[in-house]
Amino acid sequence: MSTRSMTNLQDSVAYKIIDRYKKLIIAFLLIVFLFVIGEFTVETFLTLGQVLLTLKLASFIALFALCQMVAIAGGGTGLDLSVGYMATITAVFTAAIMDGRNSYLWIAVLVALGLGIAVGLVNGLLTAYLKLPPLVVTLAMANILQGVINVYTAGKNITGRPSPVLRIIAAKSTGIFPNIVFLLIVITPIVMIIMYKTKLGLKLFGSGANETAAYLSGVNVKMVRCFSYVISSTLASLIGLLLLGNMGIAFKDMGSNYVMPSIAAVVVGGVSLAGGDGNYIGVILGAIFLQTLTNLLVALGWGDDGKWIGFGIVLFALLILYLSNRRKR
Amino acid sequence: MNRKNNAGASALKRFVSNHDFPRLLILIAMFALTAVMQKNFFAIKSIVRNINSFTPLILLTMGQAVVIISGGLDLSVGSALSLLTCVATSVMREGLPITGAYALVVTFAVAIVIGLINGIGIGFFRVPPLIVTFATSYIWLGIALFLRPTPGGETVDWFQMFYKIRNIEGAPAALKAFGEIIPPALVLVLLGCLVWWVVSKTKTGRYIYAVGSNSESAYVTGINTSWVQIKACLINSVFIFLAALFFVGQNGSGDARMGDPLTLKAIAAVVVGGIALTGGRGSVYYALVGALIFSFVSKIIFFANIPNAFQTLFSGVIIIVAIAGSQMYTLSSRKEMEESKLT
Repeated sequence: MSTRSMTNLQDSVAYKIIDRYKKLIIAFLLIVFLFVIGEFTVETFLTLGQVLLTLKLASFIALFALCQMVAIAGGGTGLDLSVGYMATITAVFTAAIMDGRNSYLWIAVLVALGLGIAVGLVNGLLTAYLKLPPLVVTLAMANILQGVINVYTAGKNITGRPSPVLRIIAAKSTGIFPNIVFLLIVITPIVMIIMYKTKLGLKLFGSGANETAAYLSGVNVKMVRCFSYVISSTLASLIGLLLLGNMGIAFKDMGSNYVMPSIAAVVVGGVSLAGGDGNYIGVILGAIFLQTLTNLLVALGWGDDGKWIGFGIVLFALLILYLSNRRKR
Repeated sequence: MNRKNNAGASALKRFVSNHDFPRLLILIAMFALTAVMQKNFFAIKSIVRNINSFTPLILLTMGQAVVIISGGLDLSVGSALSLLTCVATSVMREGLPITGAYALVVTFAVAIVIGLINGIGIGFFRVPPLIVTFATSYIWLGIALFLRPTPGGETVDWFQMFYKIRNIEGAPAALKAFGEIIPPALVLVLLGCLVWWVVSKTKTGRYIYAVGSNSESAYVTGINTSWVQIKACLINSVFIFLAALFFVGQNGSGDARMGDPLTLKAIAAVVVGGIALTGGRGSVYYALVGALIFSFVSKIIFFANIPNAFQTLFSGVIIIVAIAGSQMYTLSSRKEMEESKLT
């Protein structure tokens, strides 16, 4: 009897581990799958340089996806469609401020923080307190930010360069490894600790997992959700600085192309869009998957069109796989 | 809905205390303001021009309203519209009138497929509508970019009948005269209204409201909720199709990015029209009012001589203020309603 129950227990533990990391495993298998296809269809798909470049580009998607993850975690079908535009606006403004000087970097950071907090507050107040759908509010906010960029850049070129420090962080490599990958490696444990081990993270996930329970145990759910949008926008604003550092110049559409990949990365990474759950390592895997998919499609001769179709289909399929809530008769 | 058996005074009283009265006041105010600002506002030429520029938003708003009332929300209308224009202009060949007929059939089929896929995601798999249509919007965008990497394409001459019949060379004189009095755009809007009018008279119309206001109870009473939501998406597709016909007739070309700004405007117009984003409440005809308010506002912005660069910013701010204002009004009036029930 006892041995039997032991094996049952072991079975169930193994099962639980697999069940818990199921989505991470799926994300990882998807990446492997793409590399296998790439290896068979494209020559020289799996070279070291190619992989490192993929990691570098995926880092930016992963950073933007972090914003989404924070916005999603608080629940209320949260998502932030304004992150890309937030990054662009920060990059455009701070490029002129820094203009290639390190001594002005701190002003640029302050501007980035201020912009991020302001935009995040508007997003948060409208979604949390007025109960408007986050996607609609943040899409409108994206329009407004695009409008501000249009006004700022009307009839003149965007001037300015990032400070050398930003170039070193975002664009340069140490040895063969891009510095931005190190940044991501540093950020990941910090994010995981904040989200899983601190009171703030607990409140955030609590609000997402069960609004009523969180409210009854004394969490100010509305404020937590509002706060999650402030964090999301502020992070996006800071990522704008990194994006500027990577590109070297600021331009109108530099961030907007990251909105869709950031959401797709979150979904591929197995974050529940209902909120209350999320694993940043999965999100990073999701980002790598999407960048690999882009590389593969480009190598096969598809441009933007193939990329958007591919991202759209992947997102659609995974949404159905993870979120389908079909009534069973 | 509209009972016409009330005598004058009580009808007026009921009308003024109506929940939707402020919307109509705003509409009249915007109408008056536009009439003051636009020269020759009442000349037939400017009326026709105004109707033409209002039509796409009106059609998309009404389609979106049907989806929202059924408890969904479609973020892909803009890209779906762009895709349809790209499909139509890819099928047609200049100088071969028969290809226009092919284009009508193929475009309509694509519209139905679009509605089916969105509907299956929303209704059958019950994935949150905003996110699933966000995903599909990129599929439509990708296909549209594949068909038309840059704006362009060919059309047949008679396709202009959806915009300006006068421009068609071989058109019968009677048709031309008709087009002078009633612009084709208005016919498209009326056609859209007719579609919804017919649907609202059938069981489906009732079911759409039932599913939107409480999907669980609707399901328990034996309504096939998935199928109702799919049907709502299909109706939306018909409206998008009509809007696409107008665009192709007007521009004679397809553009993969052309519909993007309309998505948010249509949602905002629905909200301003007093339709609850949670579903089940509101009227599709009031969505038309919301679309008209938005159209007049954009006319006012246009005539206020605001520099071109400020236009996106202005319309963005107006959209967010309008959505927030309507939501506050809806929330407060709902609170009033609940309080009056309690006492």
